[in-house]
Amino acid sequence: MSTAVDDDLWSAIGDPTRRRMLDLLLTEGGGTATSLSEHLPVTRQAVAKHLAVLDRAGLVHARPEGREKQFRVDETQLARAAAQLADVGKTWDARLQRIKRIAETIERKKK
Amino acid sequence: MDHGTLEREIHIDATPDVVFDVVSNPEHVREWWTDEAEYPVEPGGDGRIGFGGTWVRFTVVDAVPPKLFSFRWTHAEGETAAPGNSFLVVFELEPTATGTRLRMTETGFRERGWDEAKIAAEYADHVSGWDHFLPRIPACAAKAGAAR
Repeated sequence: MSTAVDDDLWSAIGDPTRRRMLDLLLTEGGGTATSLSEHLPVTRQAVAKHLAVLDRAGLVHARPEGREKQFRVDETQLARAAAQLADVGKTWDARLQRIKRIAETIERKKK
Repeated sequence: MDHGTLEREIHIDATPDVVFDVVSNPEHVREWWTDEAEYPVEPGGDGRIGFGGTWVRFTVVDAVPPKLFSFRWTHAEGETAAPGNSFLVVFELEPTATGTRLRMTETGFRERGWDEAKIAAEYADHVSGWDHFLPRIPACAAKAGAAR
């Protein structure tokens, strides 16, 4: 039913705000909680919490820069997550194709 | 689109009667999905499906041949299938000139939290986030590969 999954990774990108943050970090080449919160309808504190989740999942890495931590996307880890998602996203498609094949085989045999 | 819903639609060159049997009959479900399937094809029909020795609860919600078959799955042992504790899968069948249009939806991801099916839904249907940055992934992956 399931491939080996990395729950942390998946739950990290399960949230639309966090996906938007990854998107911003990719576009901007990095960012801080403050810079991200300027583009998002959430507070700096909320952004910091989301960044912590992404950090735990290995999707972003922080390094100190001035007063605030600068975050960058770990592109290897993100590519890995995307590959897993693509696999699972295909499961119902594959099931439906099998349904189609079975039903059409039965139909042909009726004739 | 609700992020918590996975939707698919396909055309099948077979009558709705045949398609209904394929999506609902445990014998056929074993062919296209599970290793094991045991349940009565009737509203409220309670049973289970199996994957490689692991059993998962399965309860039929509606069975209206040859139009509608729906079920809930993954609710915990001892619980009655309901919104919040299971995924709801609905198959709707509509006759066409040459066969059947089969529409499938799966809902319940938001209530269940992060799960296989939620990933599928998020991946397939999410409009802003994924569509925005997924196209960049091949480039990212190539770059990451080259950096190694």
